[in-house]
Amino acid sequence: MKKIIYAFKRLWGENEKLMNQKWKYDSKSVILTTPIITQKTDKNEVEILFGTKEGKVFSLDENAKVKWIFDTKENVSNVELMFLDDDEANSIKSTPNVDDINNDGEKEIVFGSESGKLYCLNTKGELMWSYDAKSAIRGSPLIMDLTGDKFKQIVIGTLGGTIHIISSKGEEITFFDVGEGIENRPLLVQNKLVFGTNEGNIKAYNFKGEMFWSYKTKDKISADVEVNDLENNGKLSLIVGSLDGTLYNLSLDGELIWSFDTNGAIMSKVNITDINKDHKLEILFGSCDNNIYCLNNKGEKIWSYETDFWVVSTPIVADIDNDGHLEIIAGSYDHNLYILDSEGSYMLNYIPGVSGIVTQTNNYANITNKETGSFVGRKLWQFKTDDMIVGCATINDKDELVVNTKSGKISNFKFNKGEHNE
Amino acid sequence: MSEMLVSKKEDIKRIKTHIVGLDEQIQNGIPEGHISLISGASGTMKSSVSFNILYNEVLKNKKNALYISLEQSYSSIINHMINMDYDLTKINLVILKDLSTMNTEIQKMNSHDVGSLILVDIGCIRKEIKEINMNENKSWLNVVKNIVKRIKEKSRLDLFVLDSLSALYVVSKFQNPRIELFFFFEFLRDLNITSFLISESSPTENKKYGEYDEDFLSDAVIYINLATYRRRQIREINIVKMRTTKCNHDIFSLEFRGGEFHAEYGGKNPLL
Repeated sequence: MKKIIYAFKRLWGENEKLMNQKWKYDSKSVILTTPIITQKTDKNEVEILFGTKEGKVFSLDENAKVKWIFDTKENVSNVELMFLDDDEANSIKSTPNVDDINNDGEKEIVFGSESGKLYCLNTKGELMWSYDAKSAIRGSPLIMDLTGDKFKQIVIGTLGGTIHIISSKGEEITFFDVGEGIENRPLLVQNKLVFGTNEGNIKAYNFKGEMFWSYKTKDKISADVEVNDLENNGKLSLIVGSLDGTLYNLSLDGELIWSFDTNGAIMSKVNITDINKDHKLEILFGSCDNNIYCLNNKGEKIWSYETDFWVVSTPIVADIDNDGHLEIIAGSYDHNLYILDSEGSYMLNYIPGVSGIVTQTNNYANITNKETGSFVGRKLWQFKTDDMIVGCATINDKDELVVNTKSGKISNFKFNKGEHNE
Repeated sequence: MSEMLVSKKEDIKRIKTHIVGLDEQIQNGIPEGHISLISGASGTMKSSVSFNILYNEVLKNKKNALYISLEQSYSSIINHMINMDYDLTKINLVILKDLSTMNTEIQKMNSHDVGSLILVDIGCIRKEIKEINMNENKSWLNVVKNIVKRIKEKSRLDLFVLDSLSALYVVSKFQNPRIELFFFFEFLRDLNITSFLISESSPTENKKYGEYDEDFLSDAVIYINLATYRRRQIREINIVKMRTTKCNHDIFSLEFRGGEFHAEYGGKNPLL
């Protein structure tokens, strides 16, 4: 009976509270990045990491207790500060990346700063080493074993247009100039480093700094390039949005496969998941035309949902209510957190029959030929936060969500799974 | 802090140009907080006219002033001014050629009860710290902004000269000059400092007063021209625009004599 009531509630949009706010923490500084969640599998210990505009990296536990704070300001000289934009000088716009880079069994935290320094911290938040890239690092560092020696290397792009490859000890292995500013994380695919530039180019380089190809879009690319086998035929392809408002799907040789136009800048990376369990991948992303988009693997729109302002953070996917269906979680600059149904719903453009004919006289042919409606995203629940949402992340195994807002508040939500646990 | 609202025109505070014959044509000076473009070709004495304003305001009204030079070295500027009979011993002249000494110099400056003129030699600073962030295109603009901001925060800063915008473009390599200039002007406006930005220009170019339409952003444009009259080179000055000011836009001859600048009302024909 409960399930029938629930189905009716869903049908009419009367949803139970899908999440409960567990805690809220105020970092008292502007936050510009998505939170990073790390979990120690042996202890089930959760760590929430984020950087602030004031140049601090915070580590919180799952109950919002501060584990440590690392202040980058102490590591920049007064003279160096003079060369930086005072408002941005200490900003951390680079989402930290966490990995065991030196095979010591502990995960290290690697992030870049606006002052051009790459920092590596241990699990206690103590500085292990720093590397001076001499230009702002805005993308998250890529951590991978590039050489096959079982030690990981770190790859970063800078605003000054250089790519740096750094050893796990913080020593420079190589760097090369690509001539165009980089504000995203380079992607490693088939021994090629692929990244977007501020000149709007998607570029592929080898580790020696030799360019394989370049694809020109009409505006800057701030989003990370993603790679996936969209058609499930063993052929990988690249997916990235540009500030020109278009989402591009390119082959690994830099040839355009398809593109999808929105009416606003695409600032963040896409999320590629089979959200409706049809064994085909869907592509989710936000746009500054205020919409959250869901495309099929051929770049055709399945649905979109319009919020009241830009959608800058990447939508994430989780089965919030334990009903066996995935939900989409997306934060908007309109301060709201949206939970959307993965399948959307079909909305008619007009009521068939009388109203169509009455309202569109002399256009009968048009009525009979044109689409009767379109799929739109279906909102299941929304929650108003205190500011623009800049990023969200889920805590796996805990059924929790962490949301960062620009004003520096971090909120934790617990999924409400009660309805379907019977 | 941006421009204050006034209830009557007498409340508008003004900074004199200290050019004899010109101030009375512009309601006795440039409104405080204005950003003025001093534009002209090479050799028109733009730097000297700007320095003259700062020197006299520091000397006569105990103002604190900042002169940032991206072109001339501090020694070249000082020698030039001494040659023009400016008595620099009468003011507290602070020379900044090393960024690491800035806080100490500001503290020293604060201990004086007279006005100070801070002369910043960016060329000298560039030589000192070649290794820092030279890849960052905007960094020299940031240096200029940070010097202005810190002096304003830690002391008092009433007047500012940037010599020159043209040199700033060369060292900073702006990606979007119009946007970055807009924010630079907004930055100066927010600090409410009366500013003079020197711009190299040529009357033969389409962009007469600046490279990136700086005249639209500026509150005032003072144009200095070199005119040829019967094989003589005559400097001419005119106020192209000045917001919140009833001004005479005619062209005046500009002369320096007896330790003072003079604007002689003579229309296009110079005095014979």
